[in-house]
Amino acid sequence: MKRSLVRLAIMLPVLALVFGLLAVPILGKVDTVKVGVIYPLTGSAAATGKDYIAAYQLAADIVNNKMDLDFPFARTEGIPALGGAMIEIVPADSQGSPEVGRAEAERLISSVKPTALMGCHHSAVTKTASQAAERFGTVFLCPDSTSPALTERGYEWFFRSGPTDTTFIEDTFDFIEDLKKARGLKVETVAIVSEDTEFGKNISVVEEQMAATRGYRVVEKITFQNNSTNVNSEVLRLKRANPDVILMAAYTSDTILFVRTFKEQKYTPPAVIGQRAGFISPEIFTTLGKDADYLFTTNVWAPDLGEKRPIVKRINELYRAKTGKDLTGDYARAFTGAFILVDAINRAGSVNPEAIRKALLATDYPGSQLIVPWAGVRFDQKTHQNTLGRGIITQAIGGVYRTVWPFDLASQEAVWPVPAWDKR
Amino acid sequence: MSGTQVFAQTVLNGLLMGCIIALVAIGIALIRGVMDMVNFAQGEFLMLGMYCAFWVNRLTGLDPLLTAPIAGAVLFVLGAVMYKTLVRRVVGAPMLAQVLLTFGFSIVLVNTALFLWGAEFRTIPETWIRGNVDIGGVVIGVTTLVPAVVSVIMAAGVYWFMVKTRMGRALQATAMNKHAAALVGIDTERVYALAFGLASACAGVAGSVLALSYYVFPMVGTVFNLFAFVAVALGGFGSIPGAFIGGLIIGVADSVTGFYVSTAFKYVVAFGIYLATVIWRPKGLFGW
Amino acid sequence: MKNQWTIVLGAIAVGAVLPYVFPGPFPRHVMIMVLVYAILGTAWNILGGYAGQVSLGHAVYFGIGAYTSTMAFIVWRLNPWVGMVLGAVIAASVAILMGYPTFKLRGFYFAIATIALGEMFRILFVNWEWVGGAVGLEPPIIKGDRLMSMQFHLSKVPYYYILFIMFLCVLALVRVIERSKLGYYFRAVKDSHEAALSSGIDTTQVKLVAVAISAFITSMVGTVYAQYLLYIDPYVVFAGSISVKVCLVAILGGEGRLMGPFFGSVVLVLLSEYSRVLFGGTGRGIDLIIYGWLIVFVAAFQPRGILGLLGLKKQYAPEVMRKHA
Repeated sequence: MKRSLVRLAIMLPVLALVFGLLAVPILGKVDTVKVGVIYPLTGSAAATGKDYIAAYQLAADIVNNKMDLDFPFARTEGIPALGGAMIEIVPADSQGSPEVGRAEAERLISSVKPTALMGCHHSAVTKTASQAAERFGTVFLCPDSTSPALTERGYEWFFRSGPTDTTFIEDTFDFIEDLKKARGLKVETVAIVSEDTEFGKNISVVEEQMAATRGYRVVEKITFQNNSTNVNSEVLRLKRANPDVILMAAYTSDTILFVRTFKEQKYTPPAVIGQRAGFISPEIFTTLGKDADYLFTTNVWAPDLGEKRPIVKRINELYRAKTGKDLTGDYARAFTGAFILVDAINRAGSVNPEAIRKALLATDYPGSQLIVPWAGVRFDQKTHQNTLGRGIITQAIGGVYRTVWPFDLASQEAVWPVPAWDKR
Repeated sequence: MSGTQVFAQTVLNGLLMGCIIALVAIGIALIRGVMDMVNFAQGEFLMLGMYCAFWVNRLTGLDPLLTAPIAGAVLFVLGAVMYKTLVRRVVGAPMLAQVLLTFGFSIVLVNTALFLWGAEFRTIPETWIRGNVDIGGVVIGVTTLVPAVVSVIMAAGVYWFMVKTRMGRALQATAMNKHAAALVGIDTERVYALAFGLASACAGVAGSVLALSYYVFPMVGTVFNLFAFVAVALGGFGSIPGAFIGGLIIGVADSVTGFYVSTAFKYVVAFGIYLATVIWRPKGLFGW
Repeated sequence: MKNQWTIVLGAIAVGAVLPYVFPGPFPRHVMIMVLVYAILGTAWNILGGYAGQVSLGHAVYFGIGAYTSTMAFIVWRLNPWVGMVLGAVIAASVAILMGYPTFKLRGFYFAIATIALGEMFRILFVNWEWVGGAVGLEPPIIKGDRLMSMQFHLSKVPYYYILFIMFLCVLALVRVIERSKLGYYFRAVKDSHEAALSSGIDTTQVKLVAVAISAFITSMVGTVYAQYLLYIDPYVVFAGSISVKVCLVAILGGEGRLMGPFFGSVVLVLLSEYSRVLFGGTGRGIDLIIYGWLIVFVAAFQPRGILGLLGLKKQYAPEVMRKHA
């Protein structure tokens, strides 16, 4: 009898906890516009995820407060058409997993009732999270994931403001071509190096096709394991193939490993062009120091864009004050996406999902009000892909990325071929 | 580069990598050998060793090679405390309890590191240990050479300790028969604490020297853990020379397949060698 | 005896109404995940708990189930229910093929072998372009919620009931095994391999039967999961983390016990989902620290799992857990 009482005493609180947790509802206020942002906040991309949130917070600060900035929504408090309603960013952790990403999207939709969702860095997570949004009729604006397939699904509620992989790879080849014309460089062979998740696989397929159509010979094609313990044989293969340019898709840890191994094996590729991800994470400079110099990457943003447009510089300073770091292509894209959304909500004049969807479809945002070098934002009526986005090519010089292409935005001539390790 | 040079380079890369895997594997083999248990959190001790090196270097500017003893000492204490408070409860318990405890602990350690130091990748700034050695076209980075040398010294040291010293022989006696060891006056509790501390210290030293060439990151341990485990099992659980040789085999398999066959499948071959070996010898190469 | 049936029927009734007690997609998602891991844990338990062969590679069978039904759907337009059975048969065959050589191995050697096989399968699928490689697969969307297509877009409740019924069936099966001759063979193999051999039990065959049943069930859950998530890639369904979690669920609840995996799953899934909700937004891993400590404490202080914590004893066989001497 006594034993079963003890048992009951243990079991009751457990049951209470279980039911209590199941019933956790999060009550929402009416005078705020909530935007759920889903990013990896634990796991190997956690640092990136945290910086994304900071970029969204900055966007919210600018919208919510009166600021002396020559930027949309800066001089007013809140969203004007909604009587000054405040933007509230509600972060959620995807753990980099498609399953968790979708669960978080559903949780936000049902409990926080956000006006829109944004995210999710990893294309695979965006895929499932936007699936949930589609099911519930919630606007999903993706500023960052680049997998072309995302906007080919014919979703009604899914919009993407950032350019896709295809655009960035076209940029890469245009850049090489322009450089060849301008300087008479000899670039005939390429090596394609990609990590083995969806991100790398997609890119390597497009790169291979485009290299073929543009008449480049692929002398080496390498797929390496994401989060490798070492990339010695990969680098040795590259050394043997000796390509004129290496096209690389890698996340932060593997990018660090590759650059270190290049140096260790005394191999200086004439040029390495990365596809964002690891290449544009701020840690590249903090971990590799001088060794990061001369890396190329496709990009959406670089600090030197501020030299021509003061507002870009101001926004970067504000971000710097918040995080101690410069913006990167990732965070500038997210920041921009937030303003595209606020603009649509403002034009819709309500938080009605259908009204916002219509407003997004009618978006015609001028390039002059963006901090990224796009011609503007206008969504394709069928795919909902921004048709005016474009990329730039940047090169690391002295611990910052500087724009080297397109030439009219460039603040620096591309260094190609790059100096050997012992001549730096 | 000629064919021979390339081959030599490939094998050498593999051996050096193998030494680094062995750095982690030695600790696992030690715990298994003495206490008959498996520590799935060994990779996380390595991670703590790396952070230890990083912070000592950041705060005092001390060279990572000199931080190795500090990291070793810190991790020894941590390991001994962990043994006294938690691990002793599962020594002799079925394997499942050990799996549960050490897996749980690795989750705790990874996320505590995330909580304390954030998710940024970090590296130690270049020290005097840098550059490359060039032997007739075969190039070795000094930052991988140093950990490899330390790995050899450490394996030899632990082996010497076990075979030649009084304490080491007490460890071996306890490993063979705990009760008999207790009967002849060996304090088995102390022996276990020592073994666990020593294995953690190995991870601390390993982390310190690895920080020369590798990035420091809360999840870095998981990258090495799997390979270290396969190396230990390949060599035969509990055998320190076995763990070392197992590491070398995995390293060379990885490097040779990666270069001559395919980089995408290099780990498949490494694991395949393990499977083939244990099917042929179910207790590993040197197991008993 | 009558009393026991009341409890069983009561529990089934509670389970049947639960999705309506807590409506809303997120609580329902949590309940579905609890069932997914409860079934997976129960399946693992057959091999790991009853027969004592600790596998850390069960994601292989889960992945095979997810991939077979999805590919069969895409290529031959095969109904996912048929695909589910097909996948389960393939998974059981693979399990037997892999089990034949690896069951020679004992304890840790076996566990490490299953980890290695799990990794090999993942790498294979990552590089196997025909099944989508790293990009993964999306089962074609069938409009309209029909049981036949195993796709429900309006509500999650059907998924819940599919898994609920599956869970009841699996429990009944394990109950039968527990009390049958086979169940005694399992425990004999677990308690003492040599003794089992010397009393004339073909230990390899017993283990093969255990792994085949275990893989069969695991694979079926894989199919349902693929239809539930409507997206699979090798990192999702062949993840080492699934193998580990399945094993944790069973041990945490109390390995080798009928309801152990269920209680393990309830605690582990609820804890991981809700601690993420409460602390995950901070991005500092607090949720996983709590999760990890829970596992550590159960392992250190109550190796018989949550059921042991509640003071419930096993109904059969002597205690095999040795306490620290």
